[in-house]
Amino acid sequence: MTVATSLAAPIVSRLMEVERPLLVADGVSKTFPGVIALDEVSFEVRAGEVNALVGENGAGKSTLIKLMAGYYAPDSGVIRVNGIVLEADPATAHRAGVATIHQDHHLVPSMTVAENIMLGHWPSRYGVISKREQLEHASRVIAQVAPDLSPEMLARRLSPAEGQLVEIARALSEDSQVLIMDEPTTSLSGKEIDQLFRVVDELKAKGLGIVFVSHWLEEVFRIADRVTVLRDGRLVGSEPASELDTDKVIHMMVGRGVDTVTTKSQAAGDIVLEVRNLNRIGVLDDVSLVVRAGEIVTLAGLVGAGRTELVNCIFGVDRYDSGEVLLENRPLPPGDPNAAIEAGIGLAPEDRRHQALIGNLSVMTNATLAVLKRIAPRGIISKERERAAFDKATRSVAVKMSSPNAPVSTLSGGNQQKVVLGRWLARNPKLLILDEPTKGIDVGAKVEISEIIVQLAAEGTAILIVSSEMPEVIALSDRVIVMRSGHVAGELGREAITPEAVMNLATTG
Amino acid sequence: MSLNQSATSSAAARGGKPGASTRLLDAVQSIGLLFVIIIGGVILSFASPVFFTRINIENLLFSSTIVAIVAMGQAFVILIAGIDLSVGAVLALSSVLCVVLATEVGLPAGLAALLALGTGALVGFINGLNVTYLRIPALIATLAMMSVTRGIAFLISGGRNIAPVPSIYVDIQAWRIFGVPAVIIFTLLIGILAHFVLTRTRFGREIYATGGNAMAAQLAGIRTNRVTIAAYMISGLAAALGGLMITARLEAGAATAGFGYELIVISAVVIGGVSLFGGEGRISGVLLGVILLGLVQNAVNLLNVPPNYDYVVSGVVIAAAAALDVYRRRYVEAGLRRRTMMAKRDRAAAEKALRGSEVERNPRDATPAASQ
Repeated sequence: MTVATSLAAPIVSRLMEVERPLLVADGVSKTFPGVIALDEVSFEVRAGEVNALVGENGAGKSTLIKLMAGYYAPDSGVIRVNGIVLEADPATAHRAGVATIHQDHHLVPSMTVAENIMLGHWPSRYGVISKREQLEHASRVIAQVAPDLSPEMLARRLSPAEGQLVEIARALSEDSQVLIMDEPTTSLSGKEIDQLFRVVDELKAKGLGIVFVSHWLEEVFRIADRVTVLRDGRLVGSEPASELDTDKVIHMMVGRGVDTVTTKSQAAGDIVLEVRNLNRIGVLDDVSLVVRAGEIVTLAGLVGAGRTELVNCIFGVDRYDSGEVLLENRPLPPGDPNAAIEAGIGLAPEDRRHQALIGNLSVMTNATLAVLKRIAPRGIISKERERAAFDKATRSVAVKMSSPNAPVSTLSGGNQQKVVLGRWLARNPKLLILDEPTKGIDVGAKVEISEIIVQLAAEGTAILIVSSEMPEVIALSDRVIVMRSGHVAGELGREAITPEAVMNLATTG
Repeated sequence: MSLNQSATSSAAARGGKPGASTRLLDAVQSIGLLFVIIIGGVILSFASPVFFTRINIENLLFSSTIVAIVAMGQAFVILIAGIDLSVGAVLALSSVLCVVLATEVGLPAGLAALLALGTGALVGFINGLNVTYLRIPALIATLAMMSVTRGIAFLISGGRNIAPVPSIYVDIQAWRIFGVPAVIIFTLLIGILAHFVLTRTRFGREIYATGGNAMAAQLAGIRTNRVTIAAYMISGLAAALGGLMITARLEAGAATAGFGYELIVISAVVIGGVSLFGGEGRISGVLLGVILLGLVQNAVNLLNVPPNYDYVVSGVVIAAAAALDVYRRRYVEAGLRRRTMMAKRDRAAAEKALRGSEVERNPRDATPAASQ
């Protein structure tokens, strides 16, 4: 807010006092292998102000937070807190006055609230901790944020909301001036959110600067004084909340040139997958959907909307509390991936390294892992059958490798993903579930993988994709199902798929 | 297809040998061990005139057979990233059972032996259930089982050595084939069988997959719980077989047999290059590990090292082998990471490097450095 500059001197100094920047990030950039996470982003946290940081998944919010908390140093540009330049050292950032409140609180469960608040700064004489002093000090800060909480309580018995309040108390006890709250409301109930927001208002009044990260725009407009939007690692804008509304922010979040649709719109076949009223307490809320043969359906939504959890329930990785999953009208037993595979489902999970590939085993072994029974009649592996299965697995996915016997971990991300796809193609799946199929994959391979997906659908495979990449969603999907907090927020047919429509459902639906 | 092209072209660049850098590394590990064993043997044959005699070598191998059998069973468990501490106790229970059932219950010796083997498999089965369905950490589950099993062995035997044993046990042990003790040949045959199972069967592949990445294996349709239970059963069975062998050697069924065996066996497996993290290792390495431990024992005996130093020497050897494993792993990972990064950064350059300067980056060259 630049209004102040033209006013008379005394007022200027008063206004400056209120809006004194505590933390200034000046043109910071950060690159990770293959990705530019932040590109010359400037950002300010002012005293007595809540600055909400919003953006799509992968827009650079997490990176910016980690830079401010001192986990990384920027490749270029600087971050100053009260004039101190931050480096890649969380302790420095901490001493400079930056505290991070995590969504899953980081407390020592076996210690009391008071001990946690004083963690590492226990008042002691000759190494002996003074319990009384500790309790007094802790009680003083707790009174400011959560008067109902007993400082003698063990941290493991705290609810997530209480845990967050204790983290805030800890930040206060250390005289932190900048609080970074990373999606603080995700695990809170409505009442708890109200309490949290009251505390935030009080902190603001005390002159702290607060960075508030949230996916939920309604919440952002309740609490924020200023909204900063990142997109693809760049700063789109940082405006007073009073000058914005939900639509404007959504437009800022997604406002890229949208590629024209590349896929066919073909008549969908019979229902392959049907999910009926699936519930998993705290995770999925009455989810129903269908996917037909030859159809590409995308599950869109923000991180934490329950999409991965849903596909895990369908595939039997996780169990569910009620509901039904049917493949070609036959119910699948819950919690049994083997049954899902036998029925004709393949899953390419988001975390390939941990959930799909066995790094030290060869490309060939990995690609034929789902057809072990076929390549080993009577239990003994037949080299010819193995080779044939491998050829089938890799027929439509050109894996670049030094040798089929090379460890799969030596391949690039894109080629690893092709091995995972190939593993299922060797089985002719009826339904292929792809969780973030192009995550961590370079651009060229992304295109290849999209082509494979389209080809498979054309051959009649039902495809269910979880994707956070808007261009991918738009280019590939016949239908988009948008999820938010574990329920289906809405469904968009081919013509209705626009970034704005998806984001609108994902943030408010 | 580009797949076939790139595969053949770079395989050709490696002189026709398919890539398989981990397999190569495994081989290097085995060769390294073999090297250590040979050096040790040469030193010993200078230090003691007895060492390089047929009787001593035969003795060394003969006395290693029990550890070898139990270690091969243990290898299956360690390959699935588990551990079986109950093997020494199972060995004792089997020893007691095979004698008691024959001499006191009056069953035929062969049946008694079979029942002892079955009991070993049963103990393994329970271990398997405990670590899979009850999710007790393997260390604790098998530690508890060790105590229970040893206790039962003492209950049955009343703490005394049970003798005489059926003569057939002792007779079999004395058999020779082409002048070589049959037990040594039998152990080798078991080794070949275990190697075949691990490398050429579906079950073997499921073992490596489960140990390499249980989550991924499960999501690829492998019933990892069953694989795990089977591995523990094999370990129990092998330990029980070791029990039969030790009974023949002691000519008594002894509840005290095999005290501390689990540690010797696990050491042999780890020295043999089976990763404690699972998914990596070969039977040939295990056998070499067993022989190396046997060699250390032999040296202690031949050089008249006071018996109390025995444990210290063994301990040092084990620690050295474990350190070697960590280093090897670190080098492999560094090598792999370098490769992945190169592949990412510039695929064309990597491709070129694969054809041209393979020697520089091949982990083959990183490993000897690690094993020094």
